[in-house]
Amino acid sequence: MMPSTLSDSDRYPTLTSAGRELLRFMREHPHAPIFRNESGNRLSADEVEQVRALEREALEGVIGWQPNQPPAWMKGFVSRCIERVPAYRGYGTAPASFTDLPTIDRSDLARDIAQYVPDDVDVDRLINFRTSGTTGHPLLVASDPLVAAQYLAYHKRALRRFGIELQHGRGKVGVVLIGTQAQCFTYVSVTPTMDESGLAKLNLHPNDWRNVDDRARYIDALAPEVIAGDPLSFAELERLGITTRPRALLSTSMALSTPLRRRFEASFGCPVLDLYSLNEAGPVGVAIEAAGGHVLLQHRMYVEILDSEGRPIPAGKRGEITLTGGFNFCLPLLRYRTGDYAALERCAADLVLTGLSGRPPVRYRTMSGEWINNIEITHALRQLPLSQYALHQDAAGDLRFIFQASGVTAESIAAILVTLFGVNQRVTVRGPVEFDAKVVQYTSGLPGHEP
Amino acid sequence: MKEEGPLIESLTRRIAETPAEFLLAPRIGSAGDVHVPAIVNDTLRRRGITVPLPDLAVFAGRDPKSDRVRLSITLLACWLLADERLELTPGDLGGVLTLLRDDATELAVHGAAARIVQDPDRREELARLTLARLGLRPAGETIAQAQDRLTALSSAERARVLKASRQAEERARAIRAALVRKAAEESADKWTRE
Repeated sequence: MMPSTLSDSDRYPTLTSAGRELLRFMREHPHAPIFRNESGNRLSADEVEQVRALEREALEGVIGWQPNQPPAWMKGFVSRCIERVPAYRGYGTAPASFTDLPTIDRSDLARDIAQYVPDDVDVDRLINFRTSGTTGHPLLVASDPLVAAQYLAYHKRALRRFGIELQHGRGKVGVVLIGTQAQCFTYVSVTPTMDESGLAKLNLHPNDWRNVDDRARYIDALAPEVIAGDPLSFAELERLGITTRPRALLSTSMALSTPLRRRFEASFGCPVLDLYSLNEAGPVGVAIEAAGGHVLLQHRMYVEILDSEGRPIPAGKRGEITLTGGFNFCLPLLRYRTGDYAALERCAADLVLTGLSGRPPVRYRTMSGEWINNIEITHALRQLPLSQYALHQDAAGDLRFIFQASGVTAESIAAILVTLFGVNQRVTVRGPVEFDAKVVQYTSGLPGHEP
Repeated sequence: MKEEGPLIESLTRRIAETPAEFLLAPRIGSAGDVHVPAIVNDTLRRRGITVPLPDLAVFAGRDPKSDRVRLSITLLACWLLADERLELTPGDLGGVLTLLRDDATELAVHGAAARIVQDPDRREELARLTLARLGLRPAGETIAQAQDRLTALSSAERARVLKASRQAEERARAIRAALVRKAAEESADKWTRE
């Protein structure tokens, strides 16, 4: 464990005796894991009230703008950014047209994140979230405890779409976050806006447990209302055979296929929410089957879809998801190109990202010489419950496929790919394998692979 | 500065009354409103100066992030050069290009065109710089007075900018240090992790 200079009163400034008792229960439970770290909500009493007010606003906020028509709050937001953020100050004045503002991407933030932190942000309160990155630019994202606490508001907004209102409060565990990695940040905390319900961040990897059977026993003992994680961790949790029944699973970090989601829903007996969430911006959307994609969640965020030249694309056409606004006041985004691709459409009261793919589109050449988009591969493989996979086409046109899944054979994957690419296509399939980081899902060394 | 030009106040007033069209975003690539090479070309042609094409190319800009501010100042300087109280001849081409290209780049460090329009000292600095590039001094001033006043304005602004940039760098350093320190230390609760 890293030596810490903070005490419990720094980590949980409003902690009551009930909260202290719950922390003790989670830390000292006979089946508890070896907690590697310490962390907390770090919210003062005033800030707890502030988070509650912001939560009400987030839950009721209307997302009323139309694709390619910036909302009314945009003008003021752009002016504040240009006035207070060093990197944006270099733009001079706000152009008459919003789309004349330059775009930025992850490489800009990675070059010097400090230039994107507004002048009035208190440096002493800064925290960071580290992101490994899928585009080769690892990043420390500037944040604040108030920002971290607001995630829950958008989770609640997403959960409402599934008819779920969170109930766990004092003496109960609200959420367990799970990971399955050789090394993982683990700790326990309480959520003051939920009357100090418990929060535990766990690593299901055997390294963190005195006895591997303790994993299921401990999670059953916590009986959390929500479990958050990624598809790989949920698959591991499935193998553990827990008996507790959460009211929902929140899935982030990687694509969740429909068969896998349905399998998890059957295994855990609850809805599985597929969240599109970024360290840079928090939860952006939640997949709603009836809406046909990821419904936007943030009322103070404007989403554009841009082509490779940075030009807005008409509603319904696919391009790069580009964000402006958001609730992270330490990192206000102004036309931030995410590196993720989708189309944006209005569907009744919702704005929906359809065909979301978190990687740049790659074209693959079939045996007939025809180029197909990676989205076609996603569609073809949708019938298999793959936790994670990556496909590479080399300069000779040969395919290499690696995957992580249980109950899926290499032969079935190869058969689908050969059907798609043509009978003489050379395919190597390897798996299940361990992915040790977010993998770039679609790559190619074949000239002409870029759309 | 051997010749007398117009009164400095007449030029600063002109800058203060810059029409909105001259403060629109310079067009860089497919973004922006005003095609700066065209404005430079038209302004100077009307004043009897032909600008060679290679010299115009620099006013097209490449990167909105780095070129937008300097080109906004180029546009503002064009508005000033269009003032018929300023006498221009083909022999002024070198000085005019220095103003529109090099001086605009230097002034961009201090802020965009809108700031020059709003700030009396910056208006005076641009007016005096323009006169100097045309070999003129403000009406009613000696060469020494004109030089002293321009130097004083520029020095004060340079000192202000230097101080501001030092403060900005100190803050950036503090932010970077805080983030690295917190990376090795603690974060705060989120209900999901990306």
